[in-house]
Amino acid sequence: MNLSLYQDKDTWLHNIDPRTKLVGVAIIFIICLCFNNPIYMAVVALCVFFIALSARAQKALWTLRYILLLLVIFSVLLWPFFTVGKTPLWSWRFLRLTKESLFYGIAMGIRLSTFVIAGLILLSTTKNEDITNGLIKMKIPYPLAFAFSTALRLVPTFVGAGATIVQAQVSRGLDLESRNIISRFGKFIPLAVPMFISAIRYTNLLSMALESRGFSPGSPRTLYYEPVMKRRDWLILSFMIIVLIACLYMRIFLNLGVVMSGRL
Amino acid sequence: MGVSISIKSLSFTYHNSKQPAIKDINGEIKDGEFVVIMGHGGAGKSTLCYATNGIVPRFYRGGEYRGNVYIADRSVREFSISEMAKTVGLVFQDFEAQLFSTNVELEIAFGLENIGLPRDEISRRIDRYIDFLDLKGKRLSDTSILSGGQKQRLAIGAVIAMEPSVVVMDEPTSDLDPLGRAGVLSLAGLLRERKRTLVMVDYDPDTPVGADQLWLMKDGEIIGQGRPEKYLSDEKLLLSCGVMPPQTVSLFNRMGWEGSPLTVEAAKDLIEKGNLVKRRNQRKQKDSYFNSNNFFIEARGVYFRYPNSGNDVLRDINFGIKKGEFIAILGQNGSGKTTIAKHLNRLLAPTSGDILIDGKPTTRYRHNELARLVGYVFQNPDYQIFASTVQEEVGFGLKTLGEDHKTIKRNVAEALAVTGLEGYEHRSPFVLTKGERQRVAVASVLSVKPEVIILDEPTTGLDYQHQRDSLEMLKDLNRKGHTVIIITHSMWIAEEYAHRCIVMKDGKVLDDGETRSVFAHEQRLSQASLIPSPIVRLSNWLGADAMTVEGLAEELKSYESLTVSG
Repeated sequence: MNLSLYQDKDTWLHNIDPRTKLVGVAIIFIICLCFNNPIYMAVVALCVFFIALSARAQKALWTLRYILLLLVIFSVLLWPFFTVGKTPLWSWRFLRLTKESLFYGIAMGIRLSTFVIAGLILLSTTKNEDITNGLIKMKIPYPLAFAFSTALRLVPTFVGAGATIVQAQVSRGLDLESRNIISRFGKFIPLAVPMFISAIRYTNLLSMALESRGFSPGSPRTLYYEPVMKRRDWLILSFMIIVLIACLYMRIFLNLGVVMSGRL
Repeated sequence: MGVSISIKSLSFTYHNSKQPAIKDINGEIKDGEFVVIMGHGGAGKSTLCYATNGIVPRFYRGGEYRGNVYIADRSVREFSISEMAKTVGLVFQDFEAQLFSTNVELEIAFGLENIGLPRDEISRRIDRYIDFLDLKGKRLSDTSILSGGQKQRLAIGAVIAMEPSVVVMDEPTSDLDPLGRAGVLSLAGLLRERKRTLVMVDYDPDTPVGADQLWLMKDGEIIGQGRPEKYLSDEKLLLSCGVMPPQTVSLFNRMGWEGSPLTVEAAKDLIEKGNLVKRRNQRKQKDSYFNSNNFFIEARGVYFRYPNSGNDVLRDINFGIKKGEFIAILGQNGSGKTTIAKHLNRLLAPTSGDILIDGKPTTRYRHNELARLVGYVFQNPDYQIFASTVQEEVGFGLKTLGEDHKTIKRNVAEALAVTGLEGYEHRSPFVLTKGERQRVAVASVLSVKPEVIILDEPTTGLDYQHQRDSLEMLKDLNRKGHTVIIITHSMWIAEEYAHRCIVMKDGKVLDDGETRSVFAHEQRLSQASLIPSPIVRLSNWLGADAMTVEGLAEELKSYESLTVSG
């Protein structure tokens, strides 16, 4: 079973330079931080969502649907109680809910899931090696770039091992079906210990295999997929920078898209 | 011819270990030679392989290294591993951990990028080696969709694309199915034709036939080194190294026949030339023997597909299993063996159809109820071992099922006795050998006393002696009334131990019947890319019934006495 997020397709996002995508994701992150009005956030989220569709990343989104859902639900439920606005809606003892804080919570939910979606677009359209190469070309030291992309690469491997470990323990009678959260927590050790041990074994073997293939972090190497910035990349980047400046201008000088001022 | 590898009184002791892993190893391998290393688990085979490119000692700090290894006159100690990679290509047993790129061409490119080849040369090499690996058309495929055999071939290809003069493979076929193994071996044959020096650790007595040298290892030392024919006919020596002797040699020894044929063909030749025994017409094997209705486990029209996937992994599976059977499930990886086995304790549930245990569908049981009926031992014991003592590990299932202290103690003691682990109660399972850890895993399932025990490739990575020991243990359990189901790639294991075989192919049952009858149909087996072991091929050719060396020898002797008295 293939657990990796990368989708081997041929869309415009697959074909642009990884650096454009890395910078683009960073710009989307900053734009998300510009607004805390749910309507403005929704517009940003919708744009990012359409980009995801154009990159045919639906499958990756669908895989992570529960995480996205949880992010929205928890933000909407929790944020409002930790921020204070002007228009009271409801209060009970020390808990107070205001209109602004409710909106703020919704905006945060949208913001967090937009972060995740933007990251997903990057991961589902960019090969691991391209991320490494992009980072190297951006003058990130090779060991750092390699460590970053290897960490991403190992996630699906460990998820797979985790699934096997769960099955192995369940078939020995470990009861994960009971609803009791506390007793569930005690069942953590039989899963965690084999997980750690197999991860350590795996990484040790991986590093032996890497060095046996001539890998040495300090020395110069060829990039077989050398990323090349084309006209298209510069156009996309310029467009995104203009959008970013516009958003910053709206927030800083026009104070638009804000339900709670003084907060990101 | 120049000397490719030269090892001079090499010893290595791992940190915190009293015994050296390898002791006073000497050897010389000429350019273009093919050397096979065999030996029992823990004999030091891997350590020796790792010493050829410097993983030993560089990866094992605090170890004690003496002697020297020279590759083409360069002392391995003086170079870094990545430097050595240009002259020595090392292939590991675990093909999953060796592949780390997104697609096939990047995997091959990785080593070439590291040695800084220009991009057009990398591209040329990929073109050249992708053909050689028989992976054409997969150039841009994700490596995770490849079969085990293809993955291992890719791992080898990624190493040889760097064009090292020496290739060292540490048990490259141990984790593969027969088809994958055949692919890797044919790749090794191609390498030999191209005059690469090739060193391979392997377990099958077939591999060294035709090699230039065989090195036999025992307890860290080389106790036999030279022409393979010389050592392969020495049954005692091989057994003392935990290596399975060629079955044809064992048969000839037992019959007191002249000669030591290493292959079935050679044995047939000798038998015909010497007119040693007459061939007969094979007795017709009864094809089906189970038409009963008191099945303990029953599969009825089972289909299965993974969610979000378009194709059925299992298609219309039907069978019944009675209490007390010993069954082997055979087939290539991806044929659905493990998938169907996982249905039997509802690690998976059918997409349509039913699995009945004791007449009730698995979906109507809770997992912990099923754990008492059907135990499942996973292939890799390290996916379940977590406790600090063997006793705690083995008692875990009982504890979670809520048994009282006394029962736990009694059952654990029994399980340890059956698996031969008495006296291990207070040891840490993590420091045991692979064979022992495998036993702990079996014991931890046995302690719950399930009616049925399923083992997924219980002998992978074990040497011949340990394989025998585990199977004798299973045979014993079976005799005591447990139903045993094993998934295996080893034909001789199925032949010798299973009463019944289920052969899977492409998610369907290709054949299901008494072991003897399944193995009599070599043609049908070949549809699932399976080949009976040498002794059964010989037995089929002779028209005999037996499936083991001992059995065949006895049977042939009984013919002789018949002809003498008649």
